Amino acid sequence: MSQSTRHIGTHHRHMVSYPRSSGQSLYTLILVPLFTLAIVVFLVRIFAGHTVTTEHITFGFLLEALGVTFLRLTIAYVFALIFSFPLALLVTWSPSAERIFLPLFDIMQSVPVLAFFPVIIVFFIHWGLWSGAAVFILFITMLWNIVFSLVGGLRVIPQDIKAVGHIFGVRGFAYLRRILLPAVVPYLVTGSLLAFAQGWNIIIVAEVLHTYLPGATESSDLFGIGSVLVHASAAGQEQIFLAAIITLVIAIALLNFFVWQRLLQYAERFKFE
Amino acid sequence: MSDNLNDEESGVVLIGVSKTYVNTPKAALHDVSLAIKSGEFLCIVGASGCGKSTLLKIITGLERADKGELHAPAHVSMVFQSGALLPWLTVEENVKFGLPSQEKNKKDAGQPEKKYLDMVELSDFAQKYPRELSGGQRQRVGLARALAAEPQALLLDEPFSALDPKTTDDLHKDLLKIWKETGVTVIMVSHLIEEAVSLADRVVLMKDGRIEEIFPIALPYPRRESGIAFHELVQKIRAKFFQ
Repeated sequence: MSQSTRHIGTHHRHMVSYPRSSGQSLYTLILVPLFTLAIVVFLVRIFAGHTVTTEHITFGFLLEALGVTFLRLTIAYVFALIFSFPLALLVTWSPSAERIFLPLFDIMQSVPVLAFFPVIIVFFIHWGLWSGAAVFILFITMLWNIVFSLVGGLRVIPQDIKAVGHIFGVRGFAYLRRILLPAVVPYLVTGSLLAFAQGWNIIIVAEVLHTYLPGATESSDLFGIGSVLVHASAAGQEQIFLAAIITLVIAIALLNFFVWQRLLQYAERFKFE
Repeated sequence: MSDNLNDEESGVVLIGVSKTYVNTPKAALHDVSLAIKSGEFLCIVGASGCGKSTLLKIITGLERADKGELHAPAHVSMVFQSGALLPWLTVEENVKFGLPSQEKNKKDAGQPEKKYLDMVELSDFAQKYPRELSGGQRQRVGLARALAAEPQALLLDEPFSALDPKTTDDLHKDLLKIWKETGVTVIMVSHLIEEAVSLADRVVLMKDGRIEEIFPIALPYPRRESGIAFHELVQKIRAKFFQ
């Protein structure tokens, strides 16, 4: 077909600024509070210098343990977010890519990640990154929830909406930023919610490293609400266990109310009718 | 077919265009040749699956023809049946989405989107979101967005098919007004013969991926659907449609 006069009205179009970007509002809504909290907790943790012990428990100690755990979850979540977009785009790139990568990711998602935890711990300890093992296991756990949610979201973007990008000359990174990313916001929020829920489940295991290391003691464990719970339970300290579990439940409820519910509500505006 | 395909005044020219989709044995378009003059209002009618939407997609570049030649102007814009508005953007932002990038990047451009909102009488709804609008208003926003791209050819894919008769009638009037004011070439797909006859300079009847016949409509505007000449033209096209 002759292309000599095939022009579709996209000449001289460049990436343009995106005023009142809804994406930007989302970043502000999620990332700014999360990073602020993470920095505060991180500083508190550095200067507090607690070891994993349940002998002298105060409310402040429980809050600090909760904060450190939340920091681990947040770091893992940020990594999961960064990796999930390229992986989801890879799956939905073309029918051929979907045929190859979707079953592959499905298998990877189905593999019980905790089965590999001892190997992961040994690897990270080799590099002196004790907390890295927990963050990595949380990252893997969170990743697939977000990837599959995004794949679902990318698949259901109406053809007409994709065509709008083409017609109005929005291509490449601008297409990703102005059409694909906003279009998957509802799926990103539900995927993130599920990812965090899985993360809270796994944290109980991920912080108690000594169980996976031959000859290791409780001093090998990571400080956090997960390890506090396990140690209190093992030592028969019911009151401490109860206080820790209540703290955890309240934190999850507050997170749900102040972050997830609001994000779910916010995501409504991104839904196609 | 008596189209002059060498007409230099043609806005859009298709010569022997064919298209077959993967996994479908039947051609969506078969050797279609058509010349649309600059500033003409052309309406394509036909049954579902006759290839009329595929023809629009090929003109916009959304689909590539397997065979044939296409000569289209540099700026082609489209109004979709679904509206295809971005739900996370306000009415104003949706219209701005259609502006050519040089317009958006101009520091002293002011707010060029306002002109197009005025054109479709939606200035009071600039800060609303698409979900807060009626079906007719959404199509107006889609039209404003398409016009904001300053197209030489405006394509409309069954834009009024989901609207009530009153809203459709209002939009017909507005579309004709905009067409006359801007002089843009309009190519509209419709499944309603009455709609095509009331709006277009020519009506193209498509069947099974081919152009069956082209009907010139020489009636003056505004066209009265109750008029005898109008009725005769509709009957003529309908007879060919069901043949």
